[in-house]
Amino acid sequence: MLTQFRRHALRGLAAFAFAALALPAFAQMKELKVSAIPDEAPTELQRKFAPLGKYLEKEIGIPVSFVPVTDYAGVVEALAAKRIDMAWLGGFTFVQAKLRTGGTAVPLVQRAEDEKFTSRFITADPAIKSFADLKGKTFAFGSASSTSGHLMPRYFLLQAGLTPEKDFKTVAFSGAHDATVAFVASGRADAGVLNASVWDKLVESGKVDTSKVRVFTTTPAYFDYNWTVRGDLDPAVMKKLRDAFLKLDPANPEHKEIMALQRATRFVPTKPENYHSIEQAAQSAGLLR
Amino acid sequence: MLLKHDSRDPALAQRLLLSLVALALAWPIGHIAGVNPAALVEPANLRVVGSFVAGFWPLAHDSFFLGLLGDAVVQTLAIATVGTLLALLIAIPLAVGSTAALSITAIGPAPRSLWRPAFRQALRALTLLLRGVPELVWALLFVRVFGLGPSAAVLALALTYGGMLAKVFSEILDSADRRPARAILTAGGSRFDALMYGLLPVAAAELLSYSVYRWECALRAAVVMGLVGAGGLGQLMDQSMKAFNGGEIASILSAFLLLVLFADMLSGVLRHWMASTRAGGLRAAGGWMLTLSAAFACVLAWRHIGLDLGALLGDRAGSDIARFLREFLPPAHDAALLTKIASGAIETLATSLVGTVLAALIAIALALPAAGRAGKIAKSLTRFLLNLLRAVPELVWATITVLAAGLGPFAGALALALHTGGVLGRLYAEALENAPPAAEASLHASGAPRALAFLYGALPEVAPQWLAYTLYRWEINIRMAAVMGFVGAGGLGQLLYYELSLFRLDNACSVIVAMLILALLVDQASAILRRKMG
Repeated sequence: MLTQFRRHALRGLAAFAFAALALPAFAQMKELKVSAIPDEAPTELQRKFAPLGKYLEKEIGIPVSFVPVTDYAGVVEALAAKRIDMAWLGGFTFVQAKLRTGGTAVPLVQRAEDEKFTSRFITADPAIKSFADLKGKTFAFGSASSTSGHLMPRYFLLQAGLTPEKDFKTVAFSGAHDATVAFVASGRADAGVLNASVWDKLVESGKVDTSKVRVFTTTPAYFDYNWTVRGDLDPAVMKKLRDAFLKLDPANPEHKEIMALQRATRFVPTKPENYHSIEQAAQSAGLLR
Repeated sequence: MLLKHDSRDPALAQRLLLSLVALALAWPIGHIAGVNPAALVEPANLRVVGSFVAGFWPLAHDSFFLGLLGDAVVQTLAIATVGTLLALLIAIPLAVGSTAALSITAIGPAPRSLWRPAFRQALRALTLLLRGVPELVWALLFVRVFGLGPSAAVLALALTYGGMLAKVFSEILDSADRRPARAILTAGGSRFDALMYGLLPVAAAELLSYSVYRWECALRAAVVMGLVGAGGLGQLMDQSMKAFNGGEIASILSAFLLLVLFADMLSGVLRHWMASTRAGGLRAAGGWMLTLSAAFACVLAWRHIGLDLGALLGDRAGSDIARFLREFLPPAHDAALLTKIASGAIETLATSLVGTVLAALIAIALALPAAGRAGKIAKSLTRFLLNLLRAVPELVWATITVLAAGLGPFAGALALALHTGGVLGRLYAEALENAPPAAEASLHASGAPRALAFLYGALPEVAPQWLAYTLYRWEINIRMAAVMGFVGAGGLGQLLYYELSLFRLDNACSVIVAMLILALLVDQASAILRRKMG
């Protein structure tokens, strides 16, 4: 315990000395800490990450570890506080991370699918056919920090002249996409909205009774998820990471498993400008100020 | 045969009036809390809960999951232990500083000092602030400032439990036999001497016993804090809940119940042992053994958490905290936010009231058999049921009632009712068993039917005590109702979580202030009511 404390004290001193000398050096990284917003069950996230983590470890030559998190905002804060180095973020959480790091967070890559992401509005009520029918009903978003489960649907609702807090009987936050489906299926909420990708996955795996719950509208496309690193990461590591993602090739059987778990056909480079429209949507929906 | 001899109820008018007033109040409160008993028996909802509970079997037991579960149990134990240790570090100076037992001015003529009483009051105010903010709220804030994982839970426990321990410690010291300490002080001894040789020897056993009890509570709290991302069993539970994985949830709940049972037993044995050796002091045989093994457990727990105080208080953390505070203060107070807070506060208040009343009803129904009034088998069965109800924390119940009653305050009220029902049922039953039986027995002997003999013989004996317990639990429930929103049960908690998610920290600050004020108001109301009744 004491030695540990001493070690930390020494490390603190060393860090201080570095800062004092204002050396523009990047300390040799010992470990790359990675996390992801909990839009799905975190155990599932860990399972999905395992082969990708191993692959990245091999490509960048530094041990890679996954930090499980149950709170969207916690991931953003951890990235801003440099407690993690890389994170799988949604469009809105990326904007939050960008603002909280003073614009330094760097979006590296995204899946080809994320360039034209959509949300699905679902209901089990036969009377609901369009946005107008939602007036006076109970409605479930996913997490308040979710792009596809809250921000963009709210933005499109507002554009259609519906203010959730005024026009819906109750507004609830289920916390996650799969939870939203469960609430709508049971009549907990008259309608809800979720990530199109999760909806499709649930339908494919037969986890939702489509004779009862149906999609009544789908949003226009927007930019969503990406892999973001903190801005002061060693540029060499950053480049290795980006290259590693871009090199992933579904034709390679070893890569195929990684891609399937990530639900990606391929990874493409991304840039902060892609998320301007998300930021504007968040501002006009009153979720940013 | 009922009331054949004399059908007049001397208290009828008063009781009728009271019931009518209660009903008139219950209607709007129930409405705000979204009470909808019909939802509980709707076939659709029953199916959801049914399929959810059906998924409990078989328990998840693959080696990967059991490994996670084992780690989580150890982590929860470690969080509770280190949290309680740090809480003691905070509580002891606060309690010693704020107790009147070491006051020289209180003894007799002494130079009047203005700052000492003021200092004591300031310490008491700090204590109030520490325990006024629920540990879950501290945890939520610390997860943001210090990052994810058990450190946040440990610090949150340290603050809230530090406040709670400080209050009870100073009460214990205040009510301890002051004569030895006074003798030392009047003989010219220092305050430190008076504390070490006068006050502590008479209060030590009680202080230790209460600390052990708090450790047991900390274990439950550690589980709950995991639900906001602070590690341990709760975090695992949250993960499995979000995945609707019944088997995992059942395994986690079982592990949790075993843990609580173990802590309950350990704490019971320790406290019993302390009480029995009170006369001999803690130096009695085995005392050293126990102290050593406790110390060993604490060191193990500390190592496990790896609480990095160096990093927490290091150069980076300072600027992190400063940045957080800058965004956090001053609290926002625009009209739109205040309206939201007001309606959230009303919803939270209604939830706590409905939850407490429903809990009292559950408790009454279960206390009678639990006090052995329906035979031995019924007694052990209801005791088991009561233990089960109270072993599961409110927030864990809430994750289940949200499925049964839907998102919203009613689910929160039900969760409060289930846990509190278990607590109150046991207290009610004990009061009933301890009540003098004479009145009821003589009524029964003179021909009154059992129900009436109970209503007019036993009930008046226990009613004041039952009411006092219920009001006391209401004070706890208003705090729980305030955080119930974290799992989708509306009220101030939902608002706090929402504002924190959007990084509007000054808004979050206002919500926390509102929680504090609401809790203090309920404390006052409850104290006034108890005084009127007592």
